[in-house]
Amino acid sequence: MAAELEGSKSLSGLLSGLAQDTFYGHPGITEELLRSQLYPEVSPEEFRPFLAKMKGILKSIASADMDFNQLEAFLTAQTKKQGGITPEQAAVISRFWKSHKTKIRESLMNQSRWDSGLRGLSWRVDGKSQSRHSPQIHTPVAIMELEIGKSGQESEFLCLEFDELKVNQVLKKLSEVEESISTLMQPA
Amino acid sequence: MVGSLNRVMEESGEPQLDAKSKVTNQLIDFQWKLGMAVSSDSCRSLKYPYVAVMLKVADHSGQVKNKSFEMTIPQFQNFYRQFKEIAAIIETV
Repeated sequence: MAAELEGSKSLSGLLSGLAQDTFYGHPGITEELLRSQLYPEVSPEEFRPFLAKMKGILKSIASADMDFNQLEAFLTAQTKKQGGITPEQAAVISRFWKSHKTKIRESLMNQSRWDSGLRGLSWRVDGKSQSRHSPQIHTPVAIMELEIGKSGQESEFLCLEFDELKVNQVLKKLSEVEESISTLMQPA
Repeated sequence: MVGSLNRVMEESGEPQLDAKSKVTNQLIDFQWKLGMAVSSDSCRSLKYPYVAVMLKVADHSGQVKNKSFEMTIPQFQNFYRQFKEIAAIIETV
């Protein structure tokens, strides 16, 4: 293996590039780009299997959502393997996962959501109003605008009107959801 | 989740036109589901709970549509909190 590949200097940058491509979906992070930017001294033939190895390791860690114990055990095993990684590289990978874990996990969660997500919510309450031309008194009304959208698609805005009764009906349902969540989150 | 609060309480002595700048819908039904995403082809260990909501809404003409979306638990907590705020305000108006 080329000496440059064994070093850990550029590895951090490589992992960032891999994350951009594999998890965050940023286009244009090619093998050639990574090689020329981070490992210019290394030939494409030598770089390719190295990149595949690092990508495989990162994907395994992310797929299993490893905690720090699992991570240490996994990386240690990788250092003992034939054609595995060096302890310095293991340290770089470990540091990388610790600082990017949350963001990568969020990306994976978003990737697996195929229904619309709630992107935004705004509301106002319109108060009582009286009309001098009509004896009707309007009751207070809440106007709510929901911004929903699927991953990578434009938002749809849904505007809803609620009177006090309806607000309380919805509130009751939401408290049922809350209760279900509490039950789910209770330690077994 | 980015949520902006816009609180405008209008009181007017003049007749209010029914025309609104946005078309508003009435909520006919609110269905919910608490789900747990366990695993996916890109992540074997997803393990995240989510709240899926199905709204049945009717526009001014009476046409009924279904709108569904998902929320993470923190998003749901925020949604719930804002509804409670609305309830508190609408009660006092």
